[in-house]
Amino acid sequence: MKLPLLTGLCAGLLVACSGHRANVADNVRIRWDADPETLDPLRQPTKASSEAENLLHLSLLQVDYAKSSYSPGLADSLPRIRLVGDSLTLLTYRLRKAATWDNGQPVLATDVAFTLKLMQAPGLPNESIRTQYNFIRELRADPNDARRFTLVCQGQASDFAHTSGDFFILPEAALDARGTLRRYRLADLIGRSASAAPDTVLAALARRYAAAAPGRRPERLPGCGPYRLVSWEKDHHLRFQRKPQWWADSLKPLPAVLQARPSQIDFLIIPNEASAVLALRRGDVDLYPDVPAREFNRLRQSDKARQTLAFYTTLSHNVVTAGFNTRRPALADRRTRQALALLFDVPSLLAATQQGLGQRTVGIISPNTRCNYADSLPPLAFAPGRAVALLQQAGWRQKAATPTARWTRQGPSGTVQQLALQVRYRAEETAFETIGLQFRAAAAQLGIAVELRPTEASSLKATLQQGDFDLYIKAVQGNPYIFNFTSILHSQGVGEANLTGFGTPASDRLVEAVALAYSPTVRSRLLRKLQVLMREEMPMVPLFFENNRIVANRRLRNLCPSSMRPGYAAAAITWGPQATLQ
Amino acid sequence: MRAAPWVTLVPGARTVALGWLALLGALALLAPVLPLPYPPAQPDLAHISLPPFAAGSTHWLGTDPQGRDVLAELVFGTRTALGLSVAAAVLASAAGALLGGAAGFWRNRLRLPLVSGVGLLGGLWWALALPGAGAGLVVAVAGLAGSGWAPARRPPRLPVPLDAVVLGATALLGAVPRLVLVVVLAGSVALGPAGLLGVLVLTSWAGPARLVRAEMLRVGVQPFVAAARALGLPPGRVWWRHALPAACAPLRTAFPLGLAGLLGLESTLSFLGMGLPPEVPSWGRLLNTARLEPTAWWLVAGPGGLLLLTMLALQALSRPASAHK
Amino acid sequence: MASLVFLLSRWAPLSDENLGLANATELGNGALANAQARDLARQAARQRLGVAEPLFYFSRRAPMPGGDPVPWQWNGRRNQYHRWLGALLRGDWGTSFRDGQPVRVRLGAALACTLPLTGAAAALALGLALALALALARRPWWRRPALVLLAGLQALPLFVLATGLLLALANPDALDWLPTYAQAAEGEGFFALVPYLVLPLACLVLSALPELALQLTAALAQELGAGYATTARAKGLATKQVLQRHALRNALVPLLPLVADLLPALVAGAVVVEIVFSLPGMGHLLADAATTRDYPVLVGGVLLVGAARLFSLVLADAGARWLDARVA
Repeated sequence: MKLPLLTGLCAGLLVACSGHRANVADNVRIRWDADPETLDPLRQPTKASSEAENLLHLSLLQVDYAKSSYSPGLADSLPRIRLVGDSLTLLTYRLRKAATWDNGQPVLATDVAFTLKLMQAPGLPNESIRTQYNFIRELRADPNDARRFTLVCQGQASDFAHTSGDFFILPEAALDARGTLRRYRLADLIGRSASAAPDTVLAALARRYAAAAPGRRPERLPGCGPYRLVSWEKDHHLRFQRKPQWWADSLKPLPAVLQARPSQIDFLIIPNEASAVLALRRGDVDLYPDVPAREFNRLRQSDKARQTLAFYTTLSHNVVTAGFNTRRPALADRRTRQALALLFDVPSLLAATQQGLGQRTVGIISPNTRCNYADSLPPLAFAPGRAVALLQQAGWRQKAATPTARWTRQGPSGTVQQLALQVRYRAEETAFETIGLQFRAAAAQLGIAVELRPTEASSLKATLQQGDFDLYIKAVQGNPYIFNFTSILHSQGVGEANLTGFGTPASDRLVEAVALAYSPTVRSRLLRKLQVLMREEMPMVPLFFENNRIVANRRLRNLCPSSMRPGYAAAAITWGPQATLQ
Repeated sequence: MRAAPWVTLVPGARTVALGWLALLGALALLAPVLPLPYPPAQPDLAHISLPPFAAGSTHWLGTDPQGRDVLAELVFGTRTALGLSVAAAVLASAAGALLGGAAGFWRNRLRLPLVSGVGLLGGLWWALALPGAGAGLVVAVAGLAGSGWAPARRPPRLPVPLDAVVLGATALLGAVPRLVLVVVLAGSVALGPAGLLGVLVLTSWAGPARLVRAEMLRVGVQPFVAAARALGLPPGRVWWRHALPAACAPLRTAFPLGLAGLLGLESTLSFLGMGLPPEVPSWGRLLNTARLEPTAWWLVAGPGGLLLLTMLALQALSRPASAHK
Repeated sequence: MASLVFLLSRWAPLSDENLGLANATELGNGALANAQARDLARQAARQRLGVAEPLFYFSRRAPMPGGDPVPWQWNGRRNQYHRWLGALLRGDWGTSFRDGQPVRVRLGAALACTLPLTGAAAALALGLALALALALARRPWWRRPALVLLAGLQALPLFVLATGLLLALANPDALDWLPTYAQAAEGEGFFALVPYLVLPLACLVLSALPELALQLTAALAQELGAGYATTARAKGLATKQVLQRHALRNALVPLLPLVADLLPALVAGAVVVEIVFSLPGMGHLLADAATTRDYPVLVGGVLLVGAARLFSLVLADAGARWLDARVA
């Protein structure tokens, strides 16, 4: 009766034993944990979709993973910046002469203008990108050079030079062959109200875009990137193939950001981590980014795994942060916040949750950016004793003499404030839960009641924005070249991205000054000042920076492990000789 | 009569089972005063995923990937297991038996006096504050008062498709993924213990109900039920005294098995952030941490073993006493 | 039923992430877009996804001081539910919020992956359970260990079972026999896929087996104790014949709901197994849809599973009638 199962098993084994699929030629297979959902160039909802679209499309400036900075991609150099008055920035770009679409047509300023308008046109899936790039108000084409143009940007900020070149350029001919969008002004499209009368031309464009469905059939809206999508099995497998003839092949010397070496790149979607590790060990996968810290160390300590695998870590720009709700009366004064910040045992947490693969920090600037990092500040200590002293300075008193009695203090107008905290973090995040449990245990010793409230991912942001928390724990993503913290630290961002509700006139001025600073020395001086101010006010407690952890086949070369997402350059990878395997 | 099959594992199975449950009960009650080396829900960050009986450590049963002591979690988890999971299993089985039994016994032939039906509708109208809510209230009061007086006089009756309603409800519960339930409830505040018990019962009564209903279809036509009817006993009495006890037979096996499912459901809810708060220990949560550390067998062995023993004990006890020889 | 799910699922408004808007809480996300532009973008996204209109024919009004005494308002036919129902009746299941693909296409693709797997697993589990229960009812010496083993299997969470199998049989450190990731190269036939399905199949069978086998064993034992079986044995029939001719037939009746439950489970797929073994099936699809709030896909899936369940209930009733003629 168990015969069928046994026979099936045996048959399976026989086939399986012969089925170890070795890698052929210079293909690279990369593990993803989820489907990219869409390959629409106007939106990248997931990490996977932005990585995949970087293979299909090019932007004016491309991220150079080896240097962790922006380098010219379609543009032939970084833009020339000219400030006009105190509210306008002019950025002048020129496209590379060699750059062409797949049909041989050159990439021109008209394509850039078309893309900018597409990003603002109604009825397209551009809601996210629309607000991101609405500072570009106009494209002034150079009448003498079809590849030269100037972007007129509203406002002034040091990051415009990078962000203004960071969107994919799309071919006008593929979507709007008759140039119907040319008679609209960019500023009009930006200012178009939702209740404006329907416009037949714009509606026709939206219909054409929807019919082309570039999110699912990217081949209908070809980019000028080096790869094209060959097959896409939803939730399972994507395959990209190198274009046999790509315009950048003729460039001498070839810029690092325009390298495209693997003839085929496969992304295998393996949601479960244990399965992904096994697939990597068996050679079904060549590269596994974002390996959980525990698995990373276990593999690194296994002799057998070390024979075939190589290990890379780089410090990422993700900082795990605890933030106080400064709108709560009990947390409104900085002494209380400073006291509570002393209850995080950061070295132990770093060792326990990241297996030591991370770095402590004094502020939201990565310790890797030496010039900007405030190294004069000491890292936060775990000091419950000092916390008690600070709480008493802040006016808190315990009801009884026992160490675990509750804390209260007199607020203004005779109210009595209680020191009891509700901690919110994303459910399913065990690292944050460990941090919460450690904080809770440390606080319980002092008599502070802490309630952990893991919150379901999709409702977490709204809950935090409404201020329904005392303390949150989340990872804040940053990057090494944009220093505009207006959205998360400025008092204008309260109710949106500024979750702590913090903002004093002094801090607001400092945040604005940082965003405007063009000179690196001035900026680094201001950034250090900002970190000192944040430590003093303590609206948020940056705990540690996480590492990017990549495990790859030993023979892979030129991964360019980088602090920036996704942490490697898939298109630059080559294979080393077979001999190094042993 | 022969004993049901797998309960005669040990001759004194019943005593052993009772003893085990009593031990669990004692553990649950005495947990705070037991001399455990570590308190629950307190991470020992220096010892993460420590295997049991490691040299030089007082974590006798090891620690989980968050550094919590497995022994303390197991002992304190007994409280959750008995107070929540077993209670929910009992309630769900009872609700399932009643609803499924009623549906299988009366099918769609049950009639309710028309007046009470109208009264109920009126009450609903009033509760929702639809236009003219006052009229609804009047109808409700009149209807319910009328139904108290009506049965003696054989008033017009409203057919109640009980079977169809129960079947529909079980189908609905079975088809709606638990995650949808979470979507709906996620916006609300974290559930209290009573609310959590309610959710567990609500999502798990359908299985027992279907089992009992199917058995009732068979029992309802057995000679002894027909005989009881022929004696002129009121249908409610026949159902309660004769048919229902016989129809509950499949529950004896299903009840302990359902416990495992409930434990899983409880830990899933906690995992999604809407079950027990993370500082409350539970066996399900401990089992769940094995996801992070697939090679840590001690995270599965402890709670899994306890769960298995409890299931076997319940199984032994759920056998009718008459089966003993 | 699906209407209820539709209404419940859309009760809560979609958050920014679910509308596909950028997460503005990231460091250095640059300049602060002004609040007006952001609200405009939200409005546009809602309109594109078709969630800007009121949900149902009537809705509860926001409480106003001294306002209307009736807290309900009539929305007319311009509501999400009306449009959804109309489209559904025309055979249009809607399009996914996340990737813009028609729901029917996505469900179809997932079913094509799920059905062969779960179908084979259900058939195998059912056959094994029957064989096992018949063998156990004859009280062989290995009955007790087998029963404890089955109960133990039931106590084991599915993910532990799945990862355990994976770590034991597809691990270079243990037995490296079976693959972990199913990827058929072009030109290979169906049999190339067989090894990839062995582990998931084993996992599903092992998870479904205990409940079926235990219930059936218990029912068979009860039937053997009943009067007619004793009579049959007294007439000199061998236990085996009594079992197969009489007891099994009766014992199957209360088991039918369990068997009927297998059918919707076939359609719903197995989330855990599909995720552990990286299979793009229904369970994976629906779980993803629920976590990313992809309501059209979710409601479509619920509709499908619900239909399968109703069908299975009808089937179970018919089966009960066939097995036991006395059941009216």
